[in-house]
Amino acid sequence: MEVRRHHAAFCGPHFLEWFEHQVERAIHRERMFTPKDRVLVAVSGGKDSLVLWDVLLRLGYDATGLHLNLGIGAYSQDSQAKCEAFARAQDATLLVVDLPQVLGAGVEELARLSGRVPCSACGLSKRYLFNRVALEHGFDVVATAHNLDDEAAVLLGNLIAGNVEALVRQSPVLESTHPGLVRKVKPLYRIAERETAAYAVLRGIDYILDECPNSVGARTLLLKEALNLLERESPGTKQSLYWNFLEKIRPRLAAHHEREALGSCVHCGQPTTGEVCAFCRLTERVAQRMRVRALAHERAPQPV
Amino acid sequence: MRDLLRELGLNPETVIVIRGSDLLTQDSEVREDDEIEIRPVVSGGIGAVHEV
Repeated sequence: MEVRRHHAAFCGPHFLEWFEHQVERAIHRERMFTPKDRVLVAVSGGKDSLVLWDVLLRLGYDATGLHLNLGIGAYSQDSQAKCEAFARAQDATLLVVDLPQVLGAGVEELARLSGRVPCSACGLSKRYLFNRVALEHGFDVVATAHNLDDEAAVLLGNLIAGNVEALVRQSPVLESTHPGLVRKVKPLYRIAERETAAYAVLRGIDYILDECPNSVGARTLLLKEALNLLERESPGTKQSLYWNFLEKIRPRLAAHHEREALGSCVHCGQPTTGEVCAFCRLTERVAQRMRVRALAHERAPQPV
Repeated sequence: MRDLLRELGLNPETVIVIRGSDLLTQDSEVREDDEIEIRPVVSGGIGAVHEV
């Protein structure tokens, strides 16, 4: 396996060793967690999250999986099945939250009823529910499988948009700034997407190859394509972009930036900058639309 | 491998190539009768399995 950004090529066993060392180094370097901490790993059934869970278990961390079933037909069923099969094979604990059961609607219907695009409703639901489950079950930290490619693409997008607020927040560790906010960490931030796929194949991890049907045409893909063109011609571009940002640019931005104070949502108690958190606003709007729809159905002429 | 990916118009940064249980590098040789899988690695990417 070639790792061109490090001018290196490894045989299978040495690649696996190198990969796990990179993850361990990220955890230590950023002081993400220790073996005493209870880690909740957000797992989708895709390569990155199952690889992250696998590595954390191998490194001896106390890692429990959390899968959010988004209610996107066969895609969600297959995704959950991959997570369950992995958990069984590893004898690890998997928690599952079923969005349609909790809210009465899957992510696509949530998006339709709330007027958001599916990726926005999905991201909001994930952030909220991962944090809530972690709090309710007493986890110390939530680990997500964002890799170097994800972070570089998001960074490029935020730079293009001049989104200073998001740039200040973009980090491998998001500290808790509210009693109801669990720390969030990204142990794969030093690992390229191609490397997680290689790790999954070499370890025999069975992940879902299909992509979310809603991600087709997503802007992140365009940004990744652009970065991969640069990477092909100049190996190390993605790493330099993101790591230089973290070491040289973000500290300067953060030093001149005052973060908005977090309060508690009057409905659910979760952290928010407003009176009612974005997730409660979303679910209220959806419930309201559902009531209107049910009422319209009742009043419609019934077939004789 | 390098030539094959170029012929298919694929950026090597966006795929891994699998033969049996082995991962191929860009310098690996691929024969006419080899069965390989070219697997996209970009999340959200659309790709197909190619056979040679």
